[in-house]
Amino acid sequence: MPETTALLPPALLARLERMELVSRKVFRGRMKGERRSRRKGQSVEFADFRNYVAGDDVRFIDWNTYARLDRLFLKLFLEEEDLHFYALIDASGSMDFGDPTKLYFAKQLAAALGYIGLARGDRVKIETLGQPPTRPAPVLRGRRSLWPMLDYLETIESPEAVSLVDGCKNFCLRNSGKGIVLLMSDLMDKTGYEAALRYLLAQEMDVYVIHVLSAEEMEPELQGDLELIDCEDGDKAEITVSAPLMKRYKRTLAAFIGSAREFCTRRGILYVLARNDVGVDTLVTGYLRERGLVR
Amino acid sequence: MLPKPDHLFAQLGWLPQLVNMLSWWQWAILAAVPPAIVLLYFLKLKRRPLEVPSTYLWHRSIEDLHVNAIWQRLRRNLLLFLQLLLIFLAMLALLRPGWRGAKVAGDRFILLVDNSASMQATDAGPSRLEEAKRQAGELVGQLSSRDAGMIISFSNFPQIEQMFTRNRRQLRQSLDAIEPTARPTSLAEALKYAAGLANPGRSSEDASDVQVADPMPATLYIFSDGKFAQVSEFRLGNLDPVYMPVGSDEAANVGILAFSVRRHVSDRTMLQAFARLGNFGPRDTSVAAELRLNGKLIDADQVQIPAGQTQRVAFDLTVVDTGMLQLRIATRDDLACDDVAWAVVNPPRRSKVLVVTPGNESLEIAFGTGAVRELADVTFGSPELLGQPPYEQQAAAGAYDLVVYDRARPKVMPQANTLFMGALPPGEGGEQAGEKPKEGAEEKPAEKDREGEEASPPGVWRAGLKITSAATIIDTNSTHPLMQWIDMGDVTLYQPTPLEVPPGGASLIDVQWIGADKASHVAPVFVIAPREGFEDAVMGFVFLGEEVTADGSTETFIGTNWPIRESFPVFVLNFVHYLGGTGTARDGATVKPGEPISLESPVPGAPLEVRTPGGQTIELKEARPGRFQFTGTSELGVYEVRSGENRVERFAVNLFDAPESDIRPSPDVQIGRGTPVAAQTASSETTRRELWKWLLLAGLAVLLVEWYVYNRRVYL
Repeated sequence: MPETTALLPPALLARLERMELVSRKVFRGRMKGERRSRRKGQSVEFADFRNYVAGDDVRFIDWNTYARLDRLFLKLFLEEEDLHFYALIDASGSMDFGDPTKLYFAKQLAAALGYIGLARGDRVKIETLGQPPTRPAPVLRGRRSLWPMLDYLETIESPEAVSLVDGCKNFCLRNSGKGIVLLMSDLMDKTGYEAALRYLLAQEMDVYVIHVLSAEEMEPELQGDLELIDCEDGDKAEITVSAPLMKRYKRTLAAFIGSAREFCTRRGILYVLARNDVGVDTLVTGYLRERGLVR
Repeated sequence: MLPKPDHLFAQLGWLPQLVNMLSWWQWAILAAVPPAIVLLYFLKLKRRPLEVPSTYLWHRSIEDLHVNAIWQRLRRNLLLFLQLLLIFLAMLALLRPGWRGAKVAGDRFILLVDNSASMQATDAGPSRLEEAKRQAGELVGQLSSRDAGMIISFSNFPQIEQMFTRNRRQLRQSLDAIEPTARPTSLAEALKYAAGLANPGRSSEDASDVQVADPMPATLYIFSDGKFAQVSEFRLGNLDPVYMPVGSDEAANVGILAFSVRRHVSDRTMLQAFARLGNFGPRDTSVAAELRLNGKLIDADQVQIPAGQTQRVAFDLTVVDTGMLQLRIATRDDLACDDVAWAVVNPPRRSKVLVVTPGNESLEIAFGTGAVRELADVTFGSPELLGQPPYEQQAAAGAYDLVVYDRARPKVMPQANTLFMGALPPGEGGEQAGEKPKEGAEEKPAEKDREGEEASPPGVWRAGLKITSAATIIDTNSTHPLMQWIDMGDVTLYQPTPLEVPPGGASLIDVQWIGADKASHVAPVFVIAPREGFEDAVMGFVFLGEEVTADGSTETFIGTNWPIRESFPVFVLNFVHYLGGTGTARDGATVKPGEPISLESPVPGAPLEVRTPGGQTIELKEARPGRFQFTGTSELGVYEVRSGENRVERFAVNLFDAPESDIRPSPDVQIGRGTPVAAQTASSETTRRELWKWLLLAGLAVLLVEWYVYNRRVYL
């Protein structure tokens, strides 16, 4: 059992060991993995017979059957392959809020799910939206890649000045492979999140959206006359806190979450709302398990 | 040409009027305050900067508020509004807004509220009195706290309901306490009450007399229908009268103006009831008159009465010994209390007459006629009777109705009406004792000059010297009941004694003669004068006298030829009728509400009780032996006089007052000799009613609310 950082407490690690990532879609892996594939291939597990046709690999002819039946059959085996798991972290300035920060929460979640993937021999790649092309994220595989993964997560820092759309677009350009993509963001982009999610959908990936919001955003405790400054673009909003305004804000927030959930559900994206003050273990072992991302 | 602005204001009197309290630069400073407050609110924006993950949601939240951001900002700010309101109220208070109020020419108000019978008319409100009370109540409501009010209700008798007070609640209570009465109206007494404070009487012409109170001017509001006698002998002085008429000109009323019962002229066994009805409405009308005896309908009549005229009705009654007649107008009109009248038929009572005479055949014949016998029991007695106890007791107890003293003189006047023939009643002043001109007495020197003589005290009779020359009757007082239908043209008098008319008395026969000074003199020889509820008649001549002749012998002479004239029995009949007190015996007395009535007890010394129509029993106190005065006649109806268990008599109280029945309100009232006080429809005297106190109070309230809001952070 390797030692871990604060991102992954040992207790959590132990629980994660027994989990695996589930994809609702079947993807062709690049390498052999621990995942049983619907493709027939070369593994030790027998799957089926079929008639021999010219050109088949003679190594797979079942000679015993030939001896009994005098006909050539080919033995088919189950193929075991790996799963591509992408964790896409929004590291914009807005994610650097909350206690713990939303970014930290996202990293924690990425680490947890990434470890599940590593433990099951999947291909894990953790990227940020503003991943510079010159410094691509490492592709991790195998349980021993835990440390490199955690080290890499440590290097992710906010803020990255990139919009959600651009980030997703670049991600899609860089990674053409199929697999699971987990977008962790607060979706608070003034240009909207819809276009960004469409890019991901276009890749025919199994898309998960973890909508990370801080407690301060869900239930702001503000008072008096305030000048709110947007930490990303410096935009200002002058408000005088009053009961009707707070009511109106909550209504707006609920509408925002509701529309995001509806958008995702309609398009087969699995949407999970996460609060930064709810622990990652609860999220992973609870919500995500229920939703079928892990088992 | 446009009217000047102040004219505009004057025309639009109902508009609030403003008074400029500040100069222009003060106004400029004040006007700068509200913009300054608003400005401070915009400058105030010391908003706390706060970095947030995203203003995305916030912008969307306040998006619609941005549509009219400035207004929204103000709308959200309760404090600003409260402060502006406070300043606005302060400015308004400085403008001293006011309006034309109802009154305030002075600060003292006297409200005269008419509660006479005509105020029970129902043509205005529940009744005129209620309407008057409502109007007066409104006026009381308009009084400021500095104003003092006084309330007097008046019918024929004023009553101070409330002395001057500033307590409006008390004024209203006193106003509510005014009850309607059935009395006639007289304003004069009420005005005297009202004037008491406004025009203090000068106790002295000396200007240095500091005891004289300062006059207190007051406004006099008269709430009435104006149906009272004009008060011309009154000086208003410091009173400013305002006449507020109550009632409508369309009021219709038919009233009973008179109702009485008499013996039938031809058939003495029958009674006749007479009534006079008056129509005071604007239209000719026909009313049904119902006559009831002891509550039972016995006769009815339909009477046509042209507008503004009266109509007589007569009912013949069969033999009615005793009872209570009620006449009712069955048709409804605006005034109910004059639609019913009562008359009482009392059992006949014969009067008792005592004639004290040394012997007078003419009197015996005159008192012996059938007509007199029917009216009275006549007893004759000689002058010796006067000194005996039975007479003295009976006279003092009022056992006789009438005593005739023919050449006789009692020591004490009896409790009865009297007639003195050739004698003077016993005077109360001792110096009069020697003046009795007993017939045949020696002449006395004229001790007094008639012109220079002082007025005699009441009850004291004086006589002059016997007239020795020929005296002629030149005048008889034919208006007096005693002398009605009496023709004295064929009567001569021999040596009559001229008399003086005591105060309150009246001369019945005057004679003229040529005196020793060759001058013509006129003096009464037959005089009647009141005495404590009785009346004494004194004749200065005798029928049959004795004279001392020059040779010392006495000689009988005939003093007058009246007893052999036709007029004498008539006079005696009049006399028994009038002084014998039988006039009221048959048809019962009727008095107007509020008037006193004199009652007699049949048994000397027995107490009397009066039962009012309302069922109340009032015990009377004896004013004099056998005589009672009853004043509680405010209620209309039949009163019963009782002595122990026996009913003595009944009398009726009826309105019978044409001015009260005429309920059309009069357009003006005459007070004093000036121009009449015209009706004022509303209390429209212009005056300023100011508001600034209330504005400042409202400002204070706003300040409190503002302080609360500031501390509690109340949000809209």
